[in-house]
Amino acid sequence: MNANGIKLGLAFYTTLFLVFLYGPLVVLAILSFQTGPEGGPQFPIIEWSTYWYKHLFGLTPPSRIAPLPIEEGLVRSLVLAVMTMIVSTVLGVTSAQAFRTRFKGSGVVFYLIVLGMMVPGVLVGLGMALVANTLGIDRHWWGTTFVLHVVYTYPFAFLVMLAIFNRFDPSVEEAAWSLGVTPARTFRKITFPLIFPGVLSAMLFAFTLSYDEFSRTLFASGRDLTLPLAIYGTFSVEVHPNVFAFGVLTTLFSFALLGTYAVLMSLSVRRARRVLVQEDA
Amino acid sequence: MTMPHLVDDTAPAAVTLPKARAGNLWLVAPGVLWMTLFLVLPIAMMVYVSFWTQTTFKIEPTLTLQSWITFFSSDTYLGALWTTIRIWLIVLATTLLVGYPAALFVGLFVKNKTLQTVLLVLCVIPFWTSFLIRVLAWRPMLGKEGAINLILMKLGIVSQPIEVLLFSDLSVIIGMTQIYCVFMVGPIAFMLGRIDPSIIEAAQDLGAGFWRIFRTIILPLSMPGVVVGAIFVSVMVLGEFATSAALSGRKVNLLGNIIVTQVGSLKWAFAAVAGVVLTILMGAVVAVLLRVVDLRKEL
Repeated sequence: MNANGIKLGLAFYTTLFLVFLYGPLVVLAILSFQTGPEGGPQFPIIEWSTYWYKHLFGLTPPSRIAPLPIEEGLVRSLVLAVMTMIVSTVLGVTSAQAFRTRFKGSGVVFYLIVLGMMVPGVLVGLGMALVANTLGIDRHWWGTTFVLHVVYTYPFAFLVMLAIFNRFDPSVEEAAWSLGVTPARTFRKITFPLIFPGVLSAMLFAFTLSYDEFSRTLFASGRDLTLPLAIYGTFSVEVHPNVFAFGVLTTLFSFALLGTYAVLMSLSVRRARRVLVQEDA
Repeated sequence: MTMPHLVDDTAPAAVTLPKARAGNLWLVAPGVLWMTLFLVLPIAMMVYVSFWTQTTFKIEPTLTLQSWITFFSSDTYLGALWTTIRIWLIVLATTLLVGYPAALFVGLFVKNKTLQTVLLVLCVIPFWTSFLIRVLAWRPMLGKEGAINLILMKLGIVSQPIEVLLFSDLSVIIGMTQIYCVFMVGPIAFMLGRIDPSIIEAAQDLGAGFWRIFRTIILPLSMPGVVVGAIFVSVMVLGEFATSAALSGRKVNLLGNIIVTQVGSLKWAFAAVAGVVLTILMGAVVAVLLRVVDLRKEL
């Protein structure tokens, strides 16, 4: 095949594809530096300024544009994400541990768990709202919303841990058992350090998915808004560049999270390698 | 992207001491209980409530088919069902068309593993920004005074700004394509990366041109990736309502939007009917897609 021509064409196309993926975000970032409060969410940039960033933190003189109601939402979203992360990671690790031996009904259980990430948020959200209504339970972000977030993130944690256990050598555990170490201690001393990178990935998945989760939250939370709900509220009204500034900040936050994950991951890999070297010596 | 089937077939192979087996039930019970209470029960409740009697302000547990009859005799609801199917089919086609060439390049033409990883990571990075912000980012792009119109006018391609770009079917399709095409690229690139290069070399040695190799080797071998990608995209697009709410100016009403408005006006039974219709539609789509390619065999 005339591979070079085609390869060049496809490389060019892939560049365009990446522009398509990133273009809107770049435009959004540029427009977040629009001057305020008179500058609108469009080109041209009248004057470069950080007005809308100050506006987010309430550092600007009051104007006709109300500040985004994000302060309480941010706290709720962070607390919710941490709660979801802890519970779904624990559930993910324990169920994946159970799947290391074949048991009766394991196929059904597998699909039941994976269903949680496949069923759209609208449907579970609606169902949860109906259940809460019928039973007379109040809907809150820390109750009905929280359990749905776990339904969504637990399958991710489970699949990550399943993949980790697949590559796991059971003989090290068996050695510990045969030396009379209790299963609990074996898990703490042998199993957990070995699966730690997987646990870290499961936690990262759970945290970010929950932090950004919107459709389940919309139906299952009551009056108190989480961060994505506060953003959704701005959709129906006129959009100002303060939403764009917020978008830039929340993106930076996610990258910081990703960076922390990368550092922790490389540290744990390095530690594992050092242990290996010591054993060899 | 983790393929459920791939994991399922190979998962419980490890044999551990019998002592551990007794604990299995206790280990898996909390997860099963959680999913039953908070996933299966809500969905069952939705089906049940769709047969309840809806009065103006509340629902009563008297079983009736009234909500179903209302749904299938209303132009608004049927229109939403039709719009959902139309938008889903279009977005499925656009994500495939936009994503396949990129996947072809990353999965097959990039031989350098590091570069391959870098390109895939570049595709995934936008997912680290908020979903709603990504949707909203299309407004300053597509608007009348948006970036695209600005560029087109600067280049002299159009003299008047194109108004149909925003708040139309088109803006919803463009937005959804950008957000979901990565779910096509991932699985397809994964399948293409597994093609043995010697097969393609053999075909080249026998004098086959690129198109012939593509048609007879590359495309068939990438089909499982296409199907997995199509399942991801279908499930997500069918359950959508935020993109259409933000980018269509309420002109495009999907079944998801119907559910949101019905819940907003406390018409729970109607919302439940729309939910059940959506569930059936989704189940049918996934079942058909799984028929096309036997994933268990192919993976």
